[in-house]
Amino acid sequence: MKGAFAGPLEQVDSCCFRIPKSFRKDMLVDGLIFANEKLIQSIRNDQAPDQVANVATLPGIQGASLAMPDIHWGYGFCIGGVAATDPNEGGVISPGGVGYDINCGVRLVKTNLFLDDVKYHLRDLIKALFESIPAGVGRSGKYKFDPKETRQLMGEGVGYVVNRDLGVPRDLEHTEGNGFIADGDPEMVSDHAVRRGSDQCGTLGSGNHFLEVQVVDSVFDADTAKAFGLEHNQVCVMIHSGSRGLGYQVCDDALASFRDAPKKYGFVLPDRQLACAPVDSPEGKKYIAAMRAAANFGFSNRQLLMQQTREVFANVFGRSWEDLGMELLYDVAHNIAKLEEHTVDGKKKMVWVHRKGATRAFPAGHPELPLQFQLTGQPVIIPGDMGRASWVLAGSAGSMERTFGSTCHGAGRAMSRTAAMKDAVGRRIDKELEARGVIAMCSSRNGLAEEQPKAYKFVDDVVDVVHEANLSRKVARMRPIGVIKG
Amino acid sequence: MYEHFEHTADLGFRIKSNTLPELFEQAGLCLFAAIVERVEAIQPNLERQFSITGTEIDYLLFDWLRALLLEADEEKLVFGKFTVNLTDNGLTATAWGEPLDDERHLRSREVKAITYHEMLVEQTDTGWLAEVIVDI
Repeated sequence: MKGAFAGPLEQVDSCCFRIPKSFRKDMLVDGLIFANEKLIQSIRNDQAPDQVANVATLPGIQGASLAMPDIHWGYGFCIGGVAATDPNEGGVISPGGVGYDINCGVRLVKTNLFLDDVKYHLRDLIKALFESIPAGVGRSGKYKFDPKETRQLMGEGVGYVVNRDLGVPRDLEHTEGNGFIADGDPEMVSDHAVRRGSDQCGTLGSGNHFLEVQVVDSVFDADTAKAFGLEHNQVCVMIHSGSRGLGYQVCDDALASFRDAPKKYGFVLPDRQLACAPVDSPEGKKYIAAMRAAANFGFSNRQLLMQQTREVFANVFGRSWEDLGMELLYDVAHNIAKLEEHTVDGKKKMVWVHRKGATRAFPAGHPELPLQFQLTGQPVIIPGDMGRASWVLAGSAGSMERTFGSTCHGAGRAMSRTAAMKDAVGRRIDKELEARGVIAMCSSRNGLAEEQPKAYKFVDDVVDVVHEANLSRKVARMRPIGVIKG
Repeated sequence: MYEHFEHTADLGFRIKSNTLPELFEQAGLCLFAAIVERVEAIQPNLERQFSITGTEIDYLLFDWLRALLLEADEEKLVFGKFTVNLTDNGLTATAWGEPLDDERHLRSREVKAITYHEMLVEQTDTGWLAEVIVDI
């Protein structure tokens, strides 16, 4: 494994560093990393800045190759990477710029309960969630969709499951893009991918995916918090999952089909894992159609996870979920590529925005936002770690000016999984969390150790940067009180 | 022989062998040793045939591991024994295994995908060496 980044990191301002395109002959644009002095020290010790430079070589890239402050090493693109390409300038689409878990994302569900209402039921609640919601490697869900139904679901998005009474129509308005990306084609998703995902819609999965019961720890922007329906000590549920095996397979299929693209379309890639093809090529079009369909599966997966959560709360508290005020605040995708209008060099144009471990953060007044968020900007949900905090932010105007409408997506790993495991030897992570007031249940022996709080950067540091850079602003800090994991 | 090694967010496979077919067989074993804790407990109760085309050895190894992972994930199987024959235009192989049994095999990780990242297949003084990073 290579060592620290040896290239230049020029300070642009208090929260942005530049890798100038003069660093390497093959860079078409600068690289820009959003970070402060504190974070940039650890970022320098990772290969991720090299990956920012690699992405700057992609055909048709616009503006700059961007990275959010939760940047860390990833496959091809770094995690926390944002890149926009223009199809009219030979722009490419890259599965590496989306990631294996297409439409991995996060949603926040509100309740009208407060900490005092749940603290004596917390263990029962977490146990009931753990027993009801499938989590962990290969666990099947209670919702079975045959291949035809899985394809229909991918063609219609969350509306398909809501039509089966697994949610309510207003859930759609509170999901990025109404829980549906148009112009996908489920027929472009391979049979293998459909089979890998058919029993996984409504399952959490493993790795860093989780379901957390949280309370609003502090409110930073009272007006926006009020508009979002958040107040101090209110209980919420945060759900982090993606498109499961179906999405991994769509990515895997595309990487194989893009293998000969550099030779065929005449470009050079500094890393095979950056596999890409022109947006308008047959391979590119096929991946886009399949990726959009898989994204609709991801939104639906989180919808079904939320619906199961609502049912568990209703059972534990003996009231309907509607009565418990279990409304969706918002659902965001943080592994996705979308065709969006942005202004580049003073000109409005349609570009393919790749967000790999980055979240859309449209500001107030953006035409794509529903009415209720027109004055506040889009809610942005940022999971942190299971011991310290997570955040609710709102999109700010700077995101449109600097980052193609994007912000960070989480805390970012600070330790490898293996290092975290070694660090946890002889410790009981569940007991440590309990001492901090968090009840944690995990289906695997390693899950809590690999995902222990120390394995992540402190999310507050990451959020400070995006707030200061005006990419999104702090609304409320959330504190975990219970977590279930795969 | 094979070993797992640490990688930033994921897991690396390092496989050494005397011959090329053995490299592919060991790679298969290495994959399932990442998925379950007790790879030696996998019984050869059923078999699956594989035929993969390709002439570049690294892509061939990549495609072999992808094919095994896909078959295992789709059919909820695990494999513990492999025979690989290299041909002029690829490979043919047989894998033996059984349905995954959480109690006996002790599932440990979800391998999401095989990656190209820092992938290496090379001839050494004593045989062959391969390194593959998988996404977990």
